Amino acid sequence: MHDTPPVTPESIRASLAEGLHCDVVEVRGDGHHFEALIVSREFDGLNRVRRHQLVYAALGDRMRQEIHALSMRTLSPAEWAAGQGR
Amino acid sequence: MSIQDKIREQVKGHRVVLYMKGTPQFPQCGFSATATEILKRCGVDEFFSVNVLADPDLRQGIKEYANWPTVPQLYVDGEFVGGCDIMREMYQSGELQQVLGAKKPA
Repeated sequence: MHDTPPVTPESIRASLAEGLHCDVVEVRGDGHHFEALIVSREFDGLNRVRRHQLVYAALGDRMRQEIHALSMRTLSPAEWAAGQGR
Repeated sequence: MSIQDKIREQVKGHRVVLYMKGTPQFPQCGFSATATEILKRCGVDEFFSVNVLADPDLRQGIKEYANWPTVPQLYVDGEFVGGCDIMREMYQSGELQQVLGAKKPA
């Protein structure tokens, strides 16, 4: 068995930026619990469930295998500009 | 009955269903504890809860049913509402109270 590298906020951020068009992506966490703020034009017109599903899809297998606790806020650029999420 | 059929029967057969880790009395995960607390604050004392830790097949099955990889999962009137973050956002905006209070359409 090979050791998997520890999950870091930066590695989650990189996965999100790769799998989703992000205007803003911030991830904080301690290695076990993570919090993400994601602003993406891909969220335009989608409800919360569909937005979270896009985020989970971007994380793919990492979500099933490595990341056990991720809280997220998902905003469209317009919602972000209107001051939500701050 | 397949796992997917069983889940469909559960979510269609009860107005409010929470798939969680542990039980409402003894949640075994912080997110499941929060979800339970939010339902209580919305005035929902009675809901159908399923401890996914007690059933590995069901635990996997609900992830596929809703295309949602995490627990808890809330269903109201057979519809998937969301996980803990969405419950919290909807509670804070008052939407969740509306969803939970609204009568099921005939």
